[in-house]
Amino acid sequence: MITFTLNGRTIETEAPPTTRLLDLVRDEFGLIGTKEGCGEGECGACSVFVNSLLQNSCLIPIGSIEGADIQTIEGIMDTEQFKILDESYSIAGGVQCGYCIPGMVMASAALLSQNPHPSETEIREGISGNLCRCTGYNMIVDAINLAAKKGDGIWERK
Amino acid sequence: MVLHKSRRGVPPKIPKPIVFIDHLTELKQVYQNQNDLHIGACCTYSELLEDPLIPIALKKAIKTIAAPAIRNRGTLGGNICNASPAGDTLPLLYVYNAKLLLRSVSGDRVVAISDFIQGPRRVGRNQNEILAEIILPSIFEEGTHVVFEKVGNRNADAIAKVSFAGYIRMNGAQIEDVRFAFGAVGPTMVRSINIEKKLIGKTIPLAGADIAPVVAAFDKMIRPIDDQRSTASYRKTVALNLLRYFLSRKQYQSN
Repeated sequence: MITFTLNGRTIETEAPPTTRLLDLVRDEFGLIGTKEGCGEGECGACSVFVNSLLQNSCLIPIGSIEGADIQTIEGIMDTEQFKILDESYSIAGGVQCGYCIPGMVMASAALLSQNPHPSETEIREGISGNLCRCTGYNMIVDAINLAAKKGDGIWERK
Repeated sequence: MVLHKSRRGVPPKIPKPIVFIDHLTELKQVYQNQNDLHIGACCTYSELLEDPLIPIALKKAIKTIAAPAIRNRGTLGGNICNASPAGDTLPLLYVYNAKLLLRSVSGDRVVAISDFIQGPRRVGRNQNEILAEIILPSIFEEGTHVVFEKVGNRNADAIAKVSFAGYIRMNGAQIEDVRFAFGAVGPTMVRSINIEKKLIGKTIPLAGADIAPVVAAFDKMIRPIDDQRSTASYRKTVALNLLRYFLSRKQYQSN
């Protein structure tokens, strides 16, 4: 039995300990915002927070997150930070097909909570683990830059 | 998780029993013991980037690894025990003369990294041992200049085509100690104490006549392969260029 917190709720699961966290959140909990793009930790579509740290859930066996605090994209949607990112991505035209976006938003939130006023280089480094096949990244960089300005003062580690 | 990947929705088939140790704080300690630095094998790359005791050159090497999410999970011990021919921390650990503390119920033993890594994915770890610590001896001594260069096709998420670590310690204008290690150009890191000896006692800046024999010796020694990432010819050319560039500096600032 593996116990952890998922988006604020305490969870117990009997799934095998090598089960990927990605599959668990999608199949057992219906949280399909977290997506599989590569299954190898290269594309970032499966990004989640583990104890506030950005990680690729396709690489996480659930045995290793006993007692951890896990957040998926669904778990951050009620926050002020998310609303600012939502608006900024919209204004900047950072979303096309949308597949990379949950991961991009997780990476954006992780970046801004560690570095509330990143330079362009720092933004690109912050999303360097997230692949996008549609936008060419520039509008996503603009979105994060805009979110940093709009969200002045609210980006801080929980 | 990647090596034993199954179909979507099916847990990876890992053939042996698993013990998860990466959360143990006992394996995440970073501390100084006299002039030596001890690094817990389960320190993640991100944790090392934030630790003031970790040398700048090692932090620079770690920043070339993957991307933020991977750095929040990958560990120094993992990079060593995976023993990829292109492992990004390995060239530096070789020039630091890193030693590895292996621990089992029978006790501890310490082994040099160049003895521990025996081939691609092959390390000298006994079945009942874990890698507990990485020890960088005499790292806090003054006057050394260390560099790491990684050549890949992207700034992130790139496996090295060639990598190079150089270490030099000066006594005034004379070389007291110099070390080189090349990555991704052989089954393990390429290093030669004999070639390094050629430069001990030489004066900086090095003359062409001092640099040429060192480059020529590595030209013979480095035997890269063609693979999906690069060609033998490219790898050798770039490796020797990195070496030449390192040796041609007018001065070496301590870092």
